[in-house]
Amino acid sequence: MTPKPKTPIARPGAHPASGRAPALLLRGIDKSFDGHRALQGASFRLGWGEVHALVGENGAGKSTIMNVATAVYAADAGEVIVDGRDVPLRGPADAMAAGLGMVHQHFRLVGSFTVAENVALALRGAGNNVTLPEAARLLSDRADELGFRLDAGARIDELSIAERQRAEILKVLLLGAGILILDEPTAVLTAEEARALLTLVRALAREGHAVVLITHKLREVAAYSDRITVMRQGRTVLDAAPSEGLDMGEVARLAVGEMPPTPPRVTARPGAPLLRIAGLSARRADGSPALDGLALDLAEGEVLGIAGVGGNGQSELVDLLSGLRRPDAGTIRLGPHDLVGASPARRRAEGLRVIPADRFDSAMAPGLTLAENLALTGVSSGRFGSRWLLDRARMRREAERLIAANEGRGGGPGTKAALLSGGNAQKLLLAREVSSDARLLVAHSPSRGLDLRATQAVHQAIADGVARGMACLLISEDLEEIMSLSSRVCAINNGRLSAPMPVAEVTPERLGALLVGHA
Amino acid sequence: MLEGALLIRRQRVPLGLWGATYAAGLVFGLALAALILVRLGVPAPALWQEFVVQTFLTSQGLGQTVTAMIPLVLVGLGTALAMRVQFWNIGIEGQLWLGAMAATWVSLHDIGPAALRLPLMLALSMLAGAFWIALPLALKLLWGVSEVISTLLLGSIAFFWVQHQLFGAWRDTATGFPTSPTLDAVERLPLLGWGQVHAGLWLALGAVALAALVIGVTRLGFYARAVGENRRAARAAGLPVLLIVCSFVLGAGALCGLAGAVIVTGTEFRLSQSIGAGYLFSGIVIAYLARSNPLAVLVVSFLLGGLYTAGGVLKVFYGISEAMVLLVQGVVLLSVLAAQLFADFRVETRRAA
Ligand SMILES: Nc1ncnc2c1ncn2[C@@H]1O[C@H](COP(=O)(O)OP(=O)(O)OP(=O)(O)O)[C@@H](O)[C@H]1O
Ligand SMILES: [Mg+2]
Repeated sequence: MTPKPKTPIARPGAHPASGRAPALLLRGIDKSFDGHRALQGASFRLGWGEVHALVGENGAGKSTIMNVATAVYAADAGEVIVDGRDVPLRGPADAMAAGLGMVHQHFRLVGSFTVAENVALALRGAGNNVTLPEAARLLSDRADELGFRLDAGARIDELSIAERQRAEILKVLLLGAGILILDEPTAVLTAEEARALLTLVRALAREGHAVVLITHKLREVAAYSDRITVMRQGRTVLDAAPSEGLDMGEVARLAVGEMPPTPPRVTARPGAPLLRIAGLSARRADGSPALDGLALDLAEGEVLGIAGVGGNGQSELVDLLSGLRRPDAGTIRLGPHDLVGASPARRRAEGLRVIPADRFDSAMAPGLTLAENLALTGVSSGRFGSRWLLDRARMRREAERLIAANEGRGGGPGTKAALLSGGNAQKLLLAREVSSDARLLVAHSPSRGLDLRATQAVHQAIADGVARGMACLLISEDLEEIMSLSSRVCAINNGRLSAPMPVAEVTPERLGALLVGHA
Repeated sequence: MLEGALLIRRQRVPLGLWGATYAAGLVFGLALAALILVRLGVPAPALWQEFVVQTFLTSQGLGQTVTAMIPLVLVGLGTALAMRVQFWNIGIEGQLWLGAMAATWVSLHDIGPAALRLPLMLALSMLAGAFWIALPLALKLLWGVSEVISTLLLGSIAFFWVQHQLFGAWRDTATGFPTSPTLDAVERLPLLGWGQVHAGLWLALGAVALAALVIGVTRLGFYARAVGENRRAARAAGLPVLLIVCSFVLGAGALCGLAGAVIVTGTEFRLSQSIGAGYLFSGIVIAYLARSNPLAVLVVSFLLGGLYTAGGVLKVFYGISEAMVLLVQGVVLLSVLAAQLFADFRVETRRAA
């Protein structure tokens, strides 16, 4: 084994040298999981100094092909050529040594360690015995070069999502990655944070790095990338440059197929007042306030958007509304009833429905079949059998109906929910929750991680419900989502809610000020 | 050259593969056990005779195996039910002791008319087992106390309580040994006319059938599955989570208590310090191997019963030490457990180019 260099920073070529071999070349990649063909002859070509967007619908194989590139998976067939050298990569460590670094959607950082400790851990794991102060210096030097600040001594779990992401990117860079692969990095960021990240990515490309950006947001693609690759059902269907007069509508069609002609629009016809929350307060496990005297009103047939950076009390609000948690103070009135002491069952009976940010956290069970998940909330009403016996045939038929109605792909009634793509699972969850007797829908980041088509389907389901008179409390980090569905918008910051403003008066600047302000 | 291997979780495990890995694990374990026993001086032909013919293929041997199986089914089922709602019952022996004590208490005080004595003993043993598991259940529900610790500790407390009774008030005055006096004829489970096999068999089979029905076709069984798979989702969906958890956990305690009474009234006819030993280990192994499926509990208990019967034979007729018998049994069980890996995962090898 050759000794590792003491400083890990292997810089890629300083300029996007033409004539140089591509940074990464994947050809004819096949990969099956248990007979399911995730990749079928897929290819990908990444040049030095370019930001290369990889787009495609949920389940297209984007993460899989990049996991093949970084040798997390072994391909069944095909070749992986890094910087012109056809050296077999036998595992993630080999890939790292070859200069490939991937930032997964779920970060790989130790929460109870500081940023510097995480970096030192990774460097030592790669055979570079840095001391903690050395790691901290490397970190702050690199951060300075890239023009942002990161406290090397801060514990990971005290950082915001965006900061964690930067820590992860820095870690990968310090490990010597010349090729950086970011899997849906902006899915969890607000518009402001996303812009900062994409600017950083451009700066890295200018330094000569090659960057792969997996994303569902075509707007980012158009503005920030040099090339676009579109994948569809395990195949590469397009590799082109936006500068060559590429039509983004065409890209969207290639990525997710024909879109419905018009995106859903909610025409608000606010009716009688339905939900009134006052003085709602709750604490986190560590005693700090998560929600601080929150108050809001919502009428039937209206969508109230709550914008905000994640971790400002949104999850607590959702749990308080669904009844999984009790508030320290405050009232939640739905029509004439005070729900604070009511069980989740009572709340459902009153017409309250909830789409949590993570469906497998508190809405669906990954180990149950689709039929079971879809019947979960309906069994108690006697729709699927008597008080004692269960009518599984009925559950099956109902699941078949819902799956067909949502042009569901990827599974039948007997498929385990965990095997469904995010978009398909979310569509079915909405079909279950937005039934005719739903009076209030609480939706938390309902389109997070979904492709364009699935996002539209989800928004359509919400719009349809609202048109029937359902009220919707839409909690999201995605400003675009909020703006397209809500009639009024408030900002949540540190557990407090700003006064609502009509959507027509909302500008990104005004909202931005509310999101970070300490009013 | 083999450079390493990856484990890929299978999206679903085909039934045939599942059965095949079990069988392969069993065969591998038995072969390893045979190797050990031959090295210890047991003649190879005798192994076949004892392990297979005498435990499963002769009427007498089969009877012994079935007798050993009866309490195993009850504790295995008890553990499996609790596991289904994510309650880790490590206090199986404690509930078993309480059940055995309850039955003994009824017998010592001749409570109730003779005709109802036995049913009363069995019923009370179930109540006692349920009571003993209700304590850790309450601690968990009220204050989040880990049931792993509390059930385990209550198991020890139950054993000390048994000793306290046997060395004190309940000691058999006729023999002076620390056992309770033998049961009257009306207090024993009737024999079925097949070796030592007693009517406890019907109780065990009935319990399996009931559990299979509840889990398979009832609303309660479906709810329990949902609670086991994702408790938060079950709560948010409005399911009566508390009721489900309590009924399954208390049912588990009752079955373990019943196992204690069945041992006392079916095979031992008295309470002694040794009747409960090993059931904690067995219960967990059975529930795990059976993946909490009641019908599979029956099959696994049967095989384990055979393993224990053969172990007894080895001890008595071939002078194999208790420790070696445990080792051999452990080897077989470990092989079967380890073989599950190959059902759950596909092994993908990486080779150097
Ligand atoms: N480890 C795995 N085991 C089994 N199947 C898998 C595994 N990883 C991915 N798949 C399947 O392979 C296909 C491609 O998945 P992949 O995660 O690459 O999609 P993606 O394009 O990244 O989608 P998304 O936009 O939802 O992240 C999917 O059908 C998925 O279910
Ligand atoms: Mg992906």
